[in-house]
Amino acid sequence: MIGSRFRAVLGIAAAQLRHERGRTLLAIVAVALAVLATTILASVGYGVVETGQEKFDTSGRDLWVTGGPLKFSPGAVGGFENTLVDSHRVAADIEQREEIQTAVPMSFQTVYASTDGEEFQTVVGVGAPARGPSVNVINGSEFSTRDTHYANGTYDGPMSHEIVIDERTADQLGVEVGDSLYVGGTLSAARQNEFEVVGVSNTFSAFVGSATVTMHLSELQEVTGTTDSDRATFISIDVHDGADVGQVEREIQADYPSYDVRTNEEQLEATLREQAVLIASGISLVAFAVAAGVALTTNLQFSLVYQRRDRLAAIKAIGWRTRTLVAVTTVKALVVGILGAALGLVLTYPGVAVVNEVAAAIAGFEGLVQLSTEILVGGLVLGVVISFLSGLAASVLIARVSPLSYISR
Amino acid sequence: MSSRNQERGVAREGATETEVIAACESLVREYTRGSGGGWFGSGSLPTVRALDGVSLSVRRGEIVGIEGPSGSGKSTLLHLLAALDTPTAGELRVAGEDVRRLSERGRAKLRLEHVGLVFQRFHLLPALSARANVALPLVELGWSKRQRRERATSLLADVGLGERATHRPGQLSGGEQQRVAIARALATEPDLLIADEPTGELDTATGRQVLDLFEDLGEDHAIVLASHDQPTLAIADRVISLRDGRVQGADR
Repeated sequence: MIGSRFRAVLGIAAAQLRHERGRTLLAIVAVALAVLATTILASVGYGVVETGQEKFDTSGRDLWVTGGPLKFSPGAVGGFENTLVDSHRVAADIEQREEIQTAVPMSFQTVYASTDGEEFQTVVGVGAPARGPSVNVINGSEFSTRDTHYANGTYDGPMSHEIVIDERTADQLGVEVGDSLYVGGTLSAARQNEFEVVGVSNTFSAFVGSATVTMHLSELQEVTGTTDSDRATFISIDVHDGADVGQVEREIQADYPSYDVRTNEEQLEATLREQAVLIASGISLVAFAVAAGVALTTNLQFSLVYQRRDRLAAIKAIGWRTRTLVAVTTVKALVVGILGAALGLVLTYPGVAVVNEVAAAIAGFEGLVQLSTEILVGGLVLGVVISFLSGLAASVLIARVSPLSYISR
Repeated sequence: MSSRNQERGVAREGATETEVIAACESLVREYTRGSGGGWFGSGSLPTVRALDGVSLSVRRGEIVGIEGPSGSGKSTLLHLLAALDTPTAGELRVAGEDVRRLSERGRAKLRLEHVGLVFQRFHLLPALSARANVALPLVELGWSKRQRRERATSLLADVGLGERATHRPGQLSGGEQQRVAIARALATEPDLLIADEPTGELDTATGRQVLDLFEDLGEDHAIVLASHDQPTLAIADRVISLRDGRVQGADR
């Protein structure tokens, strides 16, 4: 008996959904949009964390030293402020420790670059040793020497004038290994500093997602006029195999209390914490999308109940219990929810591809938006919940429809 | 009184102990006018007496018409007889049940099993076929699909719509829709049929067909119909005239 009633409820719900195609479609689209907005924003968040973690993991570094909280600065190159001063000395001191293999200061700075000293473009200048196992050179070679220009704080050593570019810079400026590039923090400084492209590597552009030119830190400081404070974005530390990274971290932190020493994971967390406003905005957008989905589908359900209240009243009058009517409404809501969620999930794939294209074009990061099974399942659940809530709200309204109020009209 | 009424009247005279389906005695229904008055309300809102001491009994095989101007209490009396509402005072029994003692759920069950309702504006579900509309009450009774289908098909054939079972209300004329509504009211084989202005939305010819149908049904059911329309009331065995919630004069 219950089975036949349930099947009848399913049949009536299906017939009504088919009959009200326009409304059904609208409700499905509302749910789909809420699901789509949520899955894409969640994919962005997931992708940022995953990409960031991957970058830190593949950097081959164990610890990072910064000159205070890592600050996002849209005006600053690479989104980082160069807050670490006296970087060469600090790095050298750290490297003296027994557990430390290397301690390398790195800096990011906007520079002008030109092939002829006439027409300049801005690219990200990276001050880092483009040599060693952590640097993946695609074409040409790595730096032939260590940083010889920095001579114990005097910057009196000879500049190598070697530069490694990434593929985007090569395309952007039309240069290849063996060509010359004029690079400087100002146009006049750039005209006076000619570098030879010795190799092509995307290792450093992966940090900032932009076209980069990499030179020794002291040479970058020289051509950008920042040698007086010896600023860097951070010092990356590689410890010997078998060393206790946590212990080393604590010791360095104790010796340099004004700096922040972090592991890869902590550094990523700190970076994300600095993006709190951005993250909050993303979460708010998700919340708004969900609220809009609930509001839209509930409004549709409400208007449907309101418009059909005379018929609902008549059905109650002939003896249908409220719970049977509610069952029809709930089934309709669930069907809309499942179809809406499915549509939202199907649209998520092209959506993610489009956002990735845009992110790659604007920020330079590829594959920034990443989907996961959890996100897809979450989207499905969200769609069903949104629709179920709207069905629940409509059910309250149905329960309040009095047969007496409408059947005489 | 029509010839068919006369025939039925003769038959009824031969069976004086015909079953009483609905009966009321000194029925009173009062409504409170206005809302609750909110936090600052006086708490003593004026009441309106929609029905004032109405007594009536309806027997199986009898068609009772109710007439009266707007506000006379016709709809209130119909709602009470249909167990859609409960009286403020007085006795009311429908199909042997004391309506005052029934819960809302109990009254819904009473309506489902013993009362068939026909509305002026049909109130069919536009998404469903005529057959599915007729079968709606049977869903609540838990009948199987096959049983519902057979019963609805048979009833539609009885009201002359056997060929239109799969049509939706939007594909039917007003008269056809009302016949579907009547078939729906008959689905659970109710004892009492209640119709509120059943021809109010129909043209004269179509209304006549519907009234013929009621006359045919009058053999086996107790029927109460309210109307302003004299041809509609003409099919009734007796007509009760209501004025200001009271029965006026003798039945005619």
